[in-house]
Amino acid sequence: MTTRITTSSTAEYFSKNLQQVGFSSGTKAVLTTLKEAVDNSLDACEDAKILPEIAIEIEKMGPGTQKNMDLVRIKVTDNGPGIHTDDLSKVYGEYLASSKFGRGRCSRGQQGIGISAATTWAQLTAAKGVKVVSKTARMPKAIEALIEVDIKKNKGVLKNQKKITWDRKNGTSVEFFFDGRLQLNGDGGVLTYLNGTSLVNPHLKLIYKINDDKKISLERVSETLIQIPPAVLPHPHTMKLGEFISHASLFGKTPLDSFLKKGFSRVSDVSLKSMTKLGVKKSWFKNPTQKLSQTELKTTYKALQEAELMAPSTRSVLKIGEEALSKSIQRLGEVDFFSVVSRKPRICDAKPVCVEVAVARFLNSSKGADDPVTVLRFANRVPLQFDKSGCAIAKAIESVNWKSYGLNQPKKSLPQGPYIIAVSMVSPFIKFKNASKETIDTSEELIEELRFALMQAGQRLSRYIKKEKRAEEYEKKLKHIEKFGPILIETLGRITKAPKSRTDKAEKGLMKLLGRDTDTVLEKLKEAEAKQKRAEEKKKARLEKSVNKTTPKKKGKKK
Amino acid sequence: MAGLGRYKNRKSKDIPKMSLELCQKMLKDLEASRRPYLEATKCSLDNSFYTSKVGYLTPGEKKVKTELNVSSVQKLSRAIFFLEILLRNLETGAVNTKRELYYMAKGECKANPRLKPLDFNDQSESDSVVDFICEMMELYREELNCFANDRGGQTYSQNLVVTETLEDGTKAVVDLSSLGTSPFQPKNKPQSFQLKAKKGKIKFCIVIESEGTANTLVANGFTRRNNCILLGAQGVPSNAVRGWCKTIEEQLDVPMYFWGDLDAYTIQNIYRTLKAGSAASLIRNSNFSAPNVRFLGVLPTDIKKYDLAAYDVNPKEPSEGRSLKKAKDALENDPFFKDKKNKKLANILRWLIKEKMRCEQQAYFMVDPKDPLKPEKIILDKIKRGEYI
Repeated sequence: MTTRITTSSTAEYFSKNLQQVGFSSGTKAVLTTLKEAVDNSLDACEDAKILPEIAIEIEKMGPGTQKNMDLVRIKVTDNGPGIHTDDLSKVYGEYLASSKFGRGRCSRGQQGIGISAATTWAQLTAAKGVKVVSKTARMPKAIEALIEVDIKKNKGVLKNQKKITWDRKNGTSVEFFFDGRLQLNGDGGVLTYLNGTSLVNPHLKLIYKINDDKKISLERVSETLIQIPPAVLPHPHTMKLGEFISHASLFGKTPLDSFLKKGFSRVSDVSLKSMTKLGVKKSWFKNPTQKLSQTELKTTYKALQEAELMAPSTRSVLKIGEEALSKSIQRLGEVDFFSVVSRKPRICDAKPVCVEVAVARFLNSSKGADDPVTVLRFANRVPLQFDKSGCAIAKAIESVNWKSYGLNQPKKSLPQGPYIIAVSMVSPFIKFKNASKETIDTSEELIEELRFALMQAGQRLSRYIKKEKRAEEYEKKLKHIEKFGPILIETLGRITKAPKSRTDKAEKGLMKLLGRDTDTVLEKLKEAEAKQKRAEEKKKARLEKSVNKTTPKKKGKKK
Repeated sequence: MAGLGRYKNRKSKDIPKMSLELCQKMLKDLEASRRPYLEATKCSLDNSFYTSKVGYLTPGEKKVKTELNVSSVQKLSRAIFFLEILLRNLETGAVNTKRELYYMAKGECKANPRLKPLDFNDQSESDSVVDFICEMMELYREELNCFANDRGGQTYSQNLVVTETLEDGTKAVVDLSSLGTSPFQPKNKPQSFQLKAKKGKIKFCIVIESEGTANTLVANGFTRRNNCILLGAQGVPSNAVRGWCKTIEEQLDVPMYFWGDLDAYTIQNIYRTLKAGSAASLIRNSNFSAPNVRFLGVLPTDIKKYDLAAYDVNPKEPSEGRSLKKAKDALENDPFFKDKKNKKLANILRWLIKEKMRCEQQAYFMVDPKDPLKPEKIILDKIKRGEYI
């Protein structure tokens, strides 16, 4: 008897494997749902060149349907461009329906899985999909609907659709009810996520309300619209043979040389010439790609891999920038001091990557001197909150010798103290370890680039700590003078049996002498402070200059 | 100036007077808003000199000047505070160990809130203050009635008589042969002892690195059979042991030998200190070293000759690594090992650095495990044949 082979839809696969996309526990379910909704809002605003303003409500409604779970409500409302009625079911109810898939841009979402998975989770645990309200600027009224995933067909289904009056010109609001566990602080905490998101999105105005707590509003610290660099053509060295052949098939009648030059970045006439020495016949270049045999395409691919090509362009990579990060970090609390490093985009493993690091010490931090520092990891401006130990960022932090920068660090561990080390990695091609995008895969080149950024931040930090220690020493010296001087005179007076008039005189003399020392110390203290102030002003001026240089010129509206 | 120079030509050590002058000068300087300073002999290897004719390390001209400023005010306050305690002891004739002085000072500082800033957390802090006073006034600690706890110097002999003159003038006579198997242990002022042989002339004295080994030899009858003195050093010799060896050497005029392990630490720290003093004690080496003491073993040649159980050292082990590094430094910078008269000792250090080996003194006991007198035979044989350095 033969077993019947069946096929299943993508939605069916994911509905049975939601743990692969971030729904493996109640805590993760809350965070993933929130994250997917916020990511979509931010991406939509940035695409539409709107400064994002996002309002979030998170509420524990009562016991959930599953054991040890709560019924959680999450509502995310944005001022984005809104979604057309026709697209609503695709966005929230269909897997792999995405406007960003494979475009090679530094957007948060990529495949079109996350928000559909959130809808599925809500549907499976609370028997209710997502309630969406959306309005574009052209729509006279907003549309409200409940969207569910037709799991068998991988299609979104709109229910209870109606038109309503909404008090905003455009925007989208999503509301989920589902089983989850609400954790506020710690690595998987909602507050950690919100703080992290506000840190790497200085242009975001974030308003949130959790349970019955007071509404918190984090104002934006940058009015500059994020310009997501356009996608660049793929680099041949980042492609596999199968991808190359299917890419070639898209170019049909285009001759091979044009296909190579127009379909890829960094392929020039010189590259083509060098390929002829690697087995590609000159005559092939003028043949349409569809006429080339499989063997010829294979030879071309091999030659392309062996040819020396320029490294991929780093233009497609987005930076947050030192100034924006500096301002943004101060939204997280009262900062004692901080250092920020924004590296130039580099090529790691043939892919462009930009690493930015912020190290800050907060006043009134709950962390003690012996606690490990708080690590905030970001990939394409999205906080990564789980599986820290296997992540390239955590490994890079542990590999740096923080002791030389004045921090305590047990062997092969995170440094200690009331510090936050925030590391952001932006790249159109981040290699994650899993589909839920929680851990960045390690590679030697990437770790090295991360280490460089961390070490630069560490050096800046160490300059500050050294100054701080020097000031402490000066203060200690001042106290020394006040403490020991009188004891010295008194003892000398007793040994010599000197009258009080002599010891009084000696005390005055001593004060005169040590007063000179005190003045010197105070002078040095002032000098150190002034030096520090000058350095900070210089840094600020440098930052402003670089920001002015990089601010894009206003262009006319595209039609 | 409240420095040392003015006391250099003093004929007798009138410590209270010297101290008074020093304090008066400091007070006067302060009254005149001048910065007082204290000057002491620099006690370090770079200010050490050695000639075989003198026989011990002597200080050079380098001085350490401590001027009153924010950094030194604590050190100077502590020094004058301690000087007052020591002067009080001298006045009353009280004697204290370094440890007692530490607790006395600590107690006074804790009890008196005004003195609280001087507080001593560890004995090393008070010890260094006492050393500073000694270096400044070119005094021996013992002259300030301050002694270390007894350590080492356990002495065995059937022919040695020690006469000690006590504070009240009476004399105590100790015949070491009457002590049975118990050793005689010299106190901190061994230079005040009168030594003599009970009968005839004592033939030799052996200073043994390990007190346990000395004890074993005595138990096996070494001192019964030989007209000699056996002395356990118990590691790096204390002031008392050094002064005791000096007294034996001077008063009894006997050949002196040292028997210890074959390793860099023993040669460089234990034997060198016994024979020529140390850089840290430059000002008192003249009375605390026995320049005639010879290195009897273990010699590198003994390893082959007696098939001794020598073994490799692991330079990666912190203490061994440090010891080898110090030996290299000694060959380059220590005037004792640089002196051509001590070339053979320097060669042993070189051999140890090169071979990275060591051999314990107890290896002699294993040459013939069935014969407990074998070590004695080897020692006597070595002395007879002149197999020492």
